[in-house]
Amino acid sequence: MQTPHTRYALSGGVRIAYQVTGQGPIDLVFVPGFISNLELHWEEPGYSHLLRRLSAFARVIHFDKRGTGLSDRVDVQHLPDLETRMDDVRAVMDAVGSGRAALLGASEGAPMSILFAATYPERTRALVLYGGYAQFHSAVLSAEQFADFVRKAEQSWGTGASLASFAPGLVHDPRFSAWWARFERLSVSPTAAIALARMNATIDVRGVLGAIRVPTLVIHRREDARVKFAAGRFLAERIPGARFVELPGRDHPIWTGDIDRVVDAIEEFLTGTHSAAASDRVLATLLVARLAHPERAAARLGDRLWAERIAHLHGRADEITARHGGRVIGSGSETIAARFDGSARAVHAAVALRHESAALGIALAIGVHAGEVDLRSTQAAGLALHVAERIAALAGAGEILVSGVVRDLVAGSGLHFKERGATTIGGMDGPVPLLAVVAEQHLEPRARSPAEPDLAALSGREREVLGLIADGLGNAAIAARLALSEHTVKRHVANILLKLDLPTRAAAAAFAARRRV
Amino acid sequence: MATTLTAVSGPAIKRAIEARDAEAFIGFYGDDATIRVVDRNNPPSRPREVKGRAAIRAFWDDMCSRNIAHRVDVTIAEGDRLAFTQDCTYPDGAKVFGIAVLELAGGRIARHTVVHAWDE
Repeated sequence: MQTPHTRYALSGGVRIAYQVTGQGPIDLVFVPGFISNLELHWEEPGYSHLLRRLSAFARVIHFDKRGTGLSDRVDVQHLPDLETRMDDVRAVMDAVGSGRAALLGASEGAPMSILFAATYPERTRALVLYGGYAQFHSAVLSAEQFADFVRKAEQSWGTGASLASFAPGLVHDPRFSAWWARFERLSVSPTAAIALARMNATIDVRGVLGAIRVPTLVIHRREDARVKFAAGRFLAERIPGARFVELPGRDHPIWTGDIDRVVDAIEEFLTGTHSAAASDRVLATLLVARLAHPERAAARLGDRLWAERIAHLHGRADEITARHGGRVIGSGSETIAARFDGSARAVHAAVALRHESAALGIALAIGVHAGEVDLRSTQAAGLALHVAERIAALAGAGEILVSGVVRDLVAGSGLHFKERGATTIGGMDGPVPLLAVVAEQHLEPRARSPAEPDLAALSGREREVLGLIADGLGNAAIAARLALSEHTVKRHVANILLKLDLPTRAAAAAFAARRRV
Repeated sequence: MATTLTAVSGPAIKRAIEARDAEAFIGFYGDDATIRVVDRNNPPSRPREVKGRAAIRAFWDDMCSRNIAHRVDVTIAEGDRLAFTQDCTYPDGAKVFGIAVLELAGGRIARHTVVHAWDE
């Protein structure tokens, strides 16, 4: 993707790097948190998705505060206080000709945005605070916790070790972890990071909350790992007329977790409506297999034999996954993750994988979950994978556990399940029901030859869409015919394939023709 | 209000845009007018739509709050349709160029379609 040009605005002799994306009617100044680096943001799919979605309805103006990212370096003893940062925002707004802008303050960007809105109401169209706070010590870290944070930063700034305290859900995502470490290194030097953190720790803008007179939206994730949920609620209570939106999730950075829900809330607040997210998210089924008790088996077999068997298992897993129309998306020494287009195929692959591993004397615990994944991301990171990993962690040796949604999607496939209660997983709206796959009863015929897909599983709308697929129409044409957005049509098609357990659009067309839909 | 509506014409459009006169521009629209915007972030199959007087007012208030130098170089009128080009420059030099078509009904704008591109 081509990234926007970085330009510089002069603020009191210091050059502030900024970028402008989009030409929507509303000016939206994105005020970043602790650290930032304009050009590095585009390398992170979540960050670029956030900026692209915002720039569909706004002219998004983002910048690196002085001393960070691509802006001029400053003496670490003279890092910008909130007022200097406000001046920098005004300088950038002047450079881009923005008379008044909505401010989006994320995390540490929130107190600065609050101060800006209270100080320059005539230049503030609206205020949006995400994961924000008014006072650091009560909302983020106590004095002792902060001392600990500084100690850790002194030892490990630039390694990405801080990720666990910002986005625990992404700690096991190797791509994101590596990006986070670069994000630390390319945003500020270690000394500046500590000085900046010390200055942020003194932030307290509680006294100005009552003075805000611009329309305000406060968004906070319920289990935010970095800034307490109560801090967001406090902002909404103290800012006159503020609207409060709470979202599920625990990852703190605004470009992680369910970004679309955050953007939907912002767009609806600023424009009175929200458009569907660009259709690059699809439903997929994720399988995560972990070795149960690897240390016991390794001790029994000896290191060398164990390593050979694991290598063999990985090879077999690749074959089984491919045979079921899936793709291995990650394999570590003790886990294998794969992605499938259909839930029934994923569960059948899990059964085959369990059988294969048992023959090698290796016990697997397998979790299967269906959820939305990002099409553009080569690795299916994000919430759906996290849920599958959690389910795999709860599965016993030799067990295949699936989420309730998988059970619902494989109805009619001949698979049998036993209820296993429910578990709470951060980021999900409610408890996730769990079910164990029950062994097939001695090769029942219907398990051997899958039943003909059942049309009754489809809604009326899905049947209409299926009929048009059979007529050879593309998604855009179907969208036009049914007066739906293309995004909605894609969702219908994904659901149709899942419900009918068909691998492709062509197979759905053939099926529809056969059944004269 | 006893204001006389200005007729929608090439010169009137040029004057309102170049003077960043939001009030004048809002007065050109009919009550149920729609603005459709097509650009790189809002592709033709999903154009951004701004419908009705209140939303159109907010749209022009936002646009005119920007310090942009506008130039309307070409206006073409044909019956109930009017087209014009818009050449805009921000203080930092970034440019936007757009072409708009206005479809009139009863002398007011019923539909305003704009396609634009910009430096990014």
